[in-house]
Amino acid sequence: MLRKAQRRIIVPFLLPAFVLLALFFLYPLARTVDLSLNEFSRTGSMTFVGTDQYERLVGDPDFMNALKNTFLLTIIGALMLFPPAVTIAWALSHRLRGERFFRFFVFAPVVLSVAVVSIMWKFLYHPTLGLINPALKEVGLGALAKTWLGDPATALAAVTFVSVWHGIGIWVVLLCAGFERLPSDVLEAARIDGAGEVRILFSIMLPMLADLLRMLLVLWVVQSFQAFAFIYIMTGGGPFGSTDTVGTLMYRVAFDQADFGYAAAMGAVLVVLMLVIAKILNKVMKRDELQY
Amino acid sequence: MFALRKLLVVGAVVVPMMTLAACGSGGDDQPDAPAASSWQSEIEGGPIEVGVLPATGTPSLAFLEKIADSMATDISGTDVKLTFANTEARPALEQRWRSGDGLDVDYTMFDGTNDALLAWADDGKLLDLLPYLEQEDETTGAPWIDSFSPAVRQFMEHPESKGIYGVPSELSLQVLFYNAKIFKDNGITPPATWDDLTAAATKLKSAGVDPIAVTGLFEPYMGMWTDNLWMRTVGYDKVHEVLIEGKGSITDDPGFLDGLTKMQELRDQGAFLEGFEGTDFTAAQAQFFQGKAGMILMGSWLVSEMKDVIPADFDLGVIAFPTVDGGAGDQAGMMAAAQLMSVNAESENIPLALEWVRRVTSVETQTARAEEIGEVSAVKDVPSPPGLPGIAEVVGSADQLYPAYYGILQSKASEVVYPEIAKLVFGKQDAEETLAALDEGLKRVYGN
Repeated sequence: MLRKAQRRIIVPFLLPAFVLLALFFLYPLARTVDLSLNEFSRTGSMTFVGTDQYERLVGDPDFMNALKNTFLLTIIGALMLFPPAVTIAWALSHRLRGERFFRFFVFAPVVLSVAVVSIMWKFLYHPTLGLINPALKEVGLGALAKTWLGDPATALAAVTFVSVWHGIGIWVVLLCAGFERLPSDVLEAARIDGAGEVRILFSIMLPMLADLLRMLLVLWVVQSFQAFAFIYIMTGGGPFGSTDTVGTLMYRVAFDQADFGYAAAMGAVLVVLMLVIAKILNKVMKRDELQY
Repeated sequence: MFALRKLLVVGAVVVPMMTLAACGSGGDDQPDAPAASSWQSEIEGGPIEVGVLPATGTPSLAFLEKIADSMATDISGTDVKLTFANTEARPALEQRWRSGDGLDVDYTMFDGTNDALLAWADDGKLLDLLPYLEQEDETTGAPWIDSFSPAVRQFMEHPESKGIYGVPSELSLQVLFYNAKIFKDNGITPPATWDDLTAAATKLKSAGVDPIAVTGLFEPYMGMWTDNLWMRTVGYDKVHEVLIEGKGSITDDPGFLDGLTKMQELRDQGAFLEGFEGTDFTAAQAQFFQGKAGMILMGSWLVSEMKDVIPADFDLGVIAFPTVDGGAGDQAGMMAAAQLMSVNAESENIPLALEWVRRVTSVETQTARAEEIGEVSAVKDVPSPPGLPGIAEVVGSADQLYPAYYGILQSKASEVVYPEIAKLVFGKQDAEETLAALDEGLKRVYGN
């Protein structure tokens, strides 16, 4: 237990962070909950309706579809992101010829704006004018050519891929930092004992990085639950709702239909879901702390 | 004990936040509007912010910048700030209106034919322009309002109060554009009826040209086809009742299924652009002008929007949406939208805002816009744009202008109608399945 005097010292250090948290998280959250209990007119006047908006959510197939797509995007994205990110970071943790070039190559898309990346990929995906389908046809893989963004079976994965392509550099940098702080004596000992690099990766490095991976996975869940910009620009939620996420639906409901209360209810539910999932992931993936 | 303390701390944080959050903002003082008879004598220079629809770098914007410059020259101290106010900017601009910081002149704030867009006028945020429009125009000697085509009055006028809250800077008509050279080369006559259209599609396909350019990435543009078909097979009022007012069932009138069936026939014929499912609207429009498709159903703004990519020798034809033989709806109606400028009732300089509206809608300005930019005007005595050959005949043959999209985009039906139409166009369901899905969706959102 901290003594009273120690607590007094801590308060001024915590205060700035608390003020920021209150201003940029707690207040908007409280405001969102407040909005969700009201019904709005287009001009912004509101009427208190209690929990009606939340009851509406339960029977709304559009919301359920958006929720399903949000979960799908999170899972598909995690599968697209983590295996290559870990592999690249692992490769970069070794001494490679041209390492700096590879680092630049992987990180470069991060500095491009979402709008630029979305438009560029929209063109690449174009069924007849784009680059992907003609390239596939050229190398004899014409059967794989698809209307990527226009087919409900591929659209979500196509948009998710772009989002991963754009952001993977950040994840690689974070993972590289994790690989670099692994104790070299442990790795060296494994090598002396005859373990191969792949064995070292799976049996030593990844278990030692479990805490970092758990944190990154939680971050990915939070990020993908907020997915909006790529979908909004590339598909607008279509074709027929197959890429609609809670973020895009919420935007349309709020700004096209001026139904701010209902959109706020969606937002509040999303926050609760995110917190619950983060909590579950933390609990399930928690490992005994390694001292090294 | 620890849990109780934790609860108290959370409570101490959340309760004040909730209280703060629940506090609304206060109202603003509304400046007095100038007297209708003397508003022009009250014009004084100053800053105003006006919404514009064209994007940066377009000839249309350059045209409006010239008007702003001329106002700054004519009225000392005038500074007109042009703010992009088209679709993508609407959410941010509407938020400004909600917080009492709306533009002095703005678009999409009112449409007398769309219940969802009456709210700003009903809440007193927009200036009733009727008293000013009733004043004699110094150049024509007739009331200002007489300069507008009577066909657009329905868009300008509030259906209940009869006040006027928007003045059209241009008119957008949904017309069928066709590549006249391809038609001539293949001996195809521009389609006047639905049967002509399907016959033309067959001939175009045989000639190796995709018959119709359409986007699969923007559902309302696919819906434009069924909107027009239903106008012909059902009639505007009935469609509006079912889709927007939630009255009756979509299965009651056989014209709905008829329209969907015709759409299915077109789809089954393979009439749409190759890969349209993954093509966005700009690319679809560009492909039409590249000669990769024979026709495109689009707003008359197509030519002004695509001005920079239309080949100089492109032979464009414009016709009305084909009629449907035996259709119970209106065969001479045309879907249209008026781009209405509204004046902020809380503007600090209402006379200057009115002067902007007057200058943009003058016969002189509208004539120049038609000739240079290719905009269709709602002002009388303005010639048709030369870039839209045949538009004068098309407009002349229309007995009624009906609001585009029926107001679906701002209605409860927006999440139902166009997504189901898209499934039909994509081949995911047939006409009867589409009707059943629409019926179910409409009953759900309207609870009838």
